[in-house]
Amino acid sequence: MGKAMTASAGISSGIGRVARRPEVGSLIGLIVTYVFFAVLGGQVFLGAPGWSSWLNAAAEVGIIALPVGLLMIAGELDISVGAVLPASSLTVAIISGRYGLPIALGIAAALCVGLAVGFINGLLVSRTRIPSLIITIGTMFGVMGLTLGFTILIAGSTGVFIVPDPMAKSLLGAALGGMYQVGIFWWTGFGIVTYFLLHVSPWGNWIFALGGDRESARNAGIPTQRLTIQLYMLSGFAAAFVGVIQVVTFGSAQVAAGSSFIFNSIMCVVIGGVLLTGGAGSVIGIVLGTMTFAVVNQGIFFSGLDPNFGSIIIGALLLAAVLSNDTFRAMALSYAAKKK
Amino acid sequence: MDMINAFVRRPAAASVLSLIGVLAFYVIFGGVDLGRLAGAASWLNFAANLGIVALPVGLLMIAGEIDISIGAMIPAGSMTTAILSGYFGLPIWVGMAGALALGIVVGLVNGLLAVRTSVPSLIITLGTLVGMQGVVLSASVLLTGNTSVEVTAPDWAKFAFGHLIAGSHQVIIVWWLLLTALFAFVVHQTRYGNWIFAMGGDKVSARNAGIPTQSLTIVLFVLSATCAAFVGMCQAIQFNSAQVSGGMGYIFNAIVSIVVGGVLLKGGFGSVFGIFFGSLTFAVVSQGIYFTSIDRNWSNLIIGIMLLIAVAMNETFRRMAIAYVPRKRTAV
Repeated sequence: MGKAMTASAGISSGIGRVARRPEVGSLIGLIVTYVFFAVLGGQVFLGAPGWSSWLNAAAEVGIIALPVGLLMIAGELDISVGAVLPASSLTVAIISGRYGLPIALGIAAALCVGLAVGFINGLLVSRTRIPSLIITIGTMFGVMGLTLGFTILIAGSTGVFIVPDPMAKSLLGAALGGMYQVGIFWWTGFGIVTYFLLHVSPWGNWIFALGGDRESARNAGIPTQRLTIQLYMLSGFAAAFVGVIQVVTFGSAQVAAGSSFIFNSIMCVVIGGVLLTGGAGSVIGIVLGTMTFAVVNQGIFFSGLDPNFGSIIIGALLLAAVLSNDTFRAMALSYAAKKK
Repeated sequence: MDMINAFVRRPAAASVLSLIGVLAFYVIFGGVDLGRLAGAASWLNFAANLGIVALPVGLLMIAGEIDISIGAMIPAGSMTTAILSGYFGLPIWVGMAGALALGIVVGLVNGLLAVRTSVPSLIITLGTLVGMQGVVLSASVLLTGNTSVEVTAPDWAKFAFGHLIAGSHQVIIVWWLLLTALFAFVVHQTRYGNWIFAMGGDKVSARNAGIPTQSLTIVLFVLSATCAAFVGMCQAIQFNSAQVSGGMGYIFNAIVSIVVGGVLLKGGFGSVFGIFFGSLTFAVVSQGIYFTSIDRNWSNLIIGIMLLIAVAMNETFRRMAIAYVPRKRTAV
């Protein structure tokens, strides 16, 4: 066996290893879409206006996409995020805006709303054999109804205003340089924490095991019920957090907000290489998928194309992503380490 | 007692009970006048529009698949009709054929992707949902420069698809009843229905038993996209105009109707009458609330609670159905 052969085998196995990583497809997707819109959008898109616009959009959906991605890795879905977001915004606006209580109290209550909805979701999903899609559609309708009913009952209209104090505004709703919203930093923070949870701590292995095979995971001693509840509380918390950011940023809360986040968060996660069937995915992939989604969504306004083409591109991107994930996964599963 | 037992083992049981429960709730707490509610058209019109979409999507769910692209196919159907026959002034049948053909094409794409890949159909149809929304919007803006298009249908088309019976009931209700009867016949009386149940129960075994699972899946996807386009087409003819927006609400409404109707998302269990009653129940909850003294803002809460109660009932009833052993004759 010559040295050259070993080296070339090393390189090809290195390439093979890279291609089998779940985030490769999403990285390629991001580069291709970014270059595409950079060519069309020119200097404006490459400069600060372009970066701030797509980063702001990415941060909002990205904070929700991270825990939704963890759930999808664990083999579950969460549709209710679309209802938790306005519920949380209105909690802040009603407690701190209408009743004039300290904003910290309003924010704490809003985050508790998210955690509570997540707890209920997790409890129902882990205790019954009903698919999580159905359960979270049920809680979505329930939370939407409660939000609308209570808002009309208390405030008498579907929108509530609030003037956040400067402290809260600077922490949650400010824009650096008038462009980059602080949400981007919160997103980065959430991303780092989620990365640690999924890829460093043993808790992350449990998530992959849960998504791979629930029965075996439980037999191996993983507390699957508690884990499911924790994951749903995390996504409820994240959705509530984005609701808080929105109400502080815009100074008002609307009952009808949030439903676009349901499918948008799922699309970010899938473009990021997570399989809906569970057991595979990565935080870097989810972040890259979110960026790709935001680049398309915002880049279209810089490109001079009809803005409606944006959703065609996202649809095509989504299908391309799932098809390539399918191929990559088949490669990863059929891969057998070459014998020495 | 035997009759009750036999009733609850049927997939439609939960939806009938839900309907009775909702009506009882509205009568007791909302002071609703049942006679006035029964005579009203609003909830029947709503149920018919929803029900025509829910039927084929329900069959897909019995077969273990799902189709959310219907949310884009309803406006796609109405826009195709309006652009071809309204904006370009072609005969109405061209617009109608165009709408249904578009449904067939999108259904084929969904179905082919679903059988050729291992990607869950939720994700595939999410892709076509977003893609079709973009296609419909761009096509409308590029071709007509507008997001809403007028169309005037000749009398025969208006009579068949868009007139009001007795001034209030949309003719689409008749289509809904006809389609329900047709679906019920095919699903419960022919072998194709058995194939669908077999596929939802265990796809691999179904294929091994000689069922053409791939072509059956494709046919079901074509059916759901085409039915959604049909509803859109009827709406365009009914209202003499079509908008690019709208339709997204149908996605979750249809899934809720189907699940309340006793279909399991995991497949293999359900019935056409269950889906029918599920759509009816959903419509009574969301439109019937206007006839009660209950504030209409709570209707979503009622839908959410009803859904969770109905799935819980379905689980219990299904277990009873599976565990059921016909009582042995008393041995001599």
